[in-house]
Amino acid sequence: MSLIRVWKLFLKEIAMGPRNPFFLYAVIVPIGLTFLLQMAFGTIFEPVPRLGIVDYGVSEIKESFTQEEGIELHVLNDAEELKKQVENDDLDAGLILQSGLDEKIKTGEKPQLDYFMGGESLASNRIILTVMALDIFREIKGDDSPVALDVVSLGEEGLPVSMRLVPLIVFYALVLAGVFLPGSGIVEEKEKGTLQALLVTPARKEEILLAKGMLGVVLASLTAIITLFLNNVFGPRPWEVVVVVLVAAVLSSILGLLVGIISKNSTALFAVIKGAGLILFAPVVFYIFPDWPQWIARIFPLYWIIEPIWEVSVMGNPLAEVWFELTVALFIVIALIPVIVILSNRMLKA
Amino acid sequence: MKNTISSSAILGAILKKDLLAYSRNKLYIFLTVIGIIFFVLIFWVTPDTVDETIVLGITPSIETMLENAREELIEDGIQQPQFELFSANDIEKDLATEEGMQVLEFEDAEQMKKVLEGKLKLYVSEDGTLESIDPQEDHEKKEQLKDAEEKDLHMGLAFPLNFVSEAIKGEKTEVTIYLDAAVPNEMETAMQAYVQEIAFLLGGHESPVEFPEEEAIILGHDRAGQQISMQERMRPLLALFILLIETFAMASLISSEILQGTVTALRVTPMKVGHFLAAKTILGTCLALSQGVLILLLIRAFTVENWHILLITMLLGSLLFTSVAMIIGAAGKDFMGQLMYAILFTVPLMIPAFAVLVPGTVASWVQMIPSYPIVELLVGSTIYEVGWLDYWNEFLYAILWVAALYLIGLVILKRKVETL
Repeated sequence: MSLIRVWKLFLKEIAMGPRNPFFLYAVIVPIGLTFLLQMAFGTIFEPVPRLGIVDYGVSEIKESFTQEEGIELHVLNDAEELKKQVENDDLDAGLILQSGLDEKIKTGEKPQLDYFMGGESLASNRIILTVMALDIFREIKGDDSPVALDVVSLGEEGLPVSMRLVPLIVFYALVLAGVFLPGSGIVEEKEKGTLQALLVTPARKEEILLAKGMLGVVLASLTAIITLFLNNVFGPRPWEVVVVVLVAAVLSSILGLLVGIISKNSTALFAVIKGAGLILFAPVVFYIFPDWPQWIARIFPLYWIIEPIWEVSVMGNPLAEVWFELTVALFIVIALIPVIVILSNRMLKA
Repeated sequence: MKNTISSSAILGAILKKDLLAYSRNKLYIFLTVIGIIFFVLIFWVTPDTVDETIVLGITPSIETMLENAREELIEDGIQQPQFELFSANDIEKDLATEEGMQVLEFEDAEQMKKVLEGKLKLYVSEDGTLESIDPQEDHEKKEQLKDAEEKDLHMGLAFPLNFVSEAIKGEKTEVTIYLDAAVPNEMETAMQAYVQEIAFLLGGHESPVEFPEEEAIILGHDRAGQQISMQERMRPLLALFILLIETFAMASLISSEILQGTVTALRVTPMKVGHFLAAKTILGTCLALSQGVLILLLIRAFTVENWHILLITMLLGSLLFTSVAMIIGAAGKDFMGQLMYAILFTVPLMIPAFAVLVPGTVASWVQMIPSYPIVELLVGSTIYEVGWLDYWNEFLYAILWVAALYLIGLVILKRKVETL
């Protein structure tokens, strides 16, 4: 095997790769998914109470609400617009602060409040916003707190859904660039007959496959790293994250080569990936549902690369804690190499 | 000798040929079947309820605190005529009817703490009795509690035994708030304010403002206790997904006919371009509609009130996606090219269905997407049970988009076929 030829073939892959639709797909999908899932699941499953305020004076109440944590405050200028937004479920509740309200509260006049809630707002959010408002009115009135509160936090804080979706996005980054790209590259060469053309040159079959695998490794590593970075989960040891991502990219690309070799044409490639997709995808679901029996995830091959990324990158654990998973991943890689060699020989004979 | 063939016979022959070609496309048959199974499965595992209740534990029980307060106030010679009206039963009844909060009374603070720490599992039986067990050890007891409801406690309030009497006397007391670490900030802040408000009211401090009556301040249909679940919100998305798969299949069928020269061959027969276009329209729409209806049946979207609206909406949706398939297919690309074209055209069409998952008004640019009125009609008929009159403008909007896209699809495909 000539490393110079592998390098030249790799450069050819880099030059030709962007012409493959999957190249673009592999780059765009993880980034798009990051934005989509972070945006969607940050609000769908963990909706914070949303309060709208129209202030016709210069009320301290509005200022107090801006300092409250855990609520989404919207300041509007028009009461009708506020009511419309509350009715359309754009806000959970609306509060109109009439001019002079603060003074009336301070003098104990007990003014009537312009306060309304959306019919689709959650009952828990209605309680939260109403009680918070009452607390602020008490503060404005100057009532001294009649109780001393001691807050004790118990148990371990669970991870937010947006965080538990990181393995899903990284999975797509690895599969699209690591599996799809080398796989579709081989199939395309077979369909267009360029593989045969290449083989009449001094380039050997192993060198061609290695170059295609290298493109998968490079692109899968880059998209996975960018995805982790965009999701703000790069962990405290960046170099260790790079190591686990590299191992993951190598295993993905080996699977990609295998898929490319066994697929006769694009349709077959698509069918193989769709068929095997569930097996590849399965371990990711266990991160989204941590209550499920986690041992089941270990049955699936990509668990052994997703778990090290999860532990080192998302959970911030050192590399030493995932040595077993990494060893299994590398073992799968080594075990698949002779399979690839045998199947690629058969492919050329066919 | 002149042998005329009727248009319907030509159309029938093309449809027969297309159906055969479609049934031979194993990839799309496979994707359609897998898609239907997968989408139905997703629907049924998605939560069908919305958890909007804060589960709050308190200790000691209301009755214990009130009894203690009565004894202490009598001992101190304090007259509280209002207090005599308080009864633990009345307070408990009031709390039970409170929307958004469930209060569970513990006699033992340690038990409440262990439940919050996750060391004990909490069960509430039908008569309201609380039972907590160690899930690792009390297997027998767990079996006995199989009819009881398992509860996740979010927060716990540990009041001192003399809390009520001290609050009435205006003395400052100390209350411990135990929180599950996963409880968000706003709930913690609200709970602190809640405890203070109880103490304020017991101490005779009236609310500093007059809140309007609850019935008067709810804008829109009050859905407290009957919120729209994620499962219900998923229905339009799943219906569009299945139409999307059919777009891929139809575009692939048209593409392969162009690439393989089948269309050119057909043109030397009595078939006119109009027959070809009509056949594609009928086949694409019927396939998409039948699968869309099947999935809506499997996810129980049809009701006596909405079936006609849903059928018309799905018909419009099927025609819309068939029009898109005509545009994609007319490009006559190979499998990969056609796949990329299909993704490029269909992904934007899915945005309105995703937007429904997020509460609130859909952004104005989303409302410009052709599939938006279809999604609105699906949402209206499956979630809000609206009638024809409520959504006539959406129908009109949908018809206009479908007509425009169908016209574009027809023109593009016709020109492609004529230039072959």
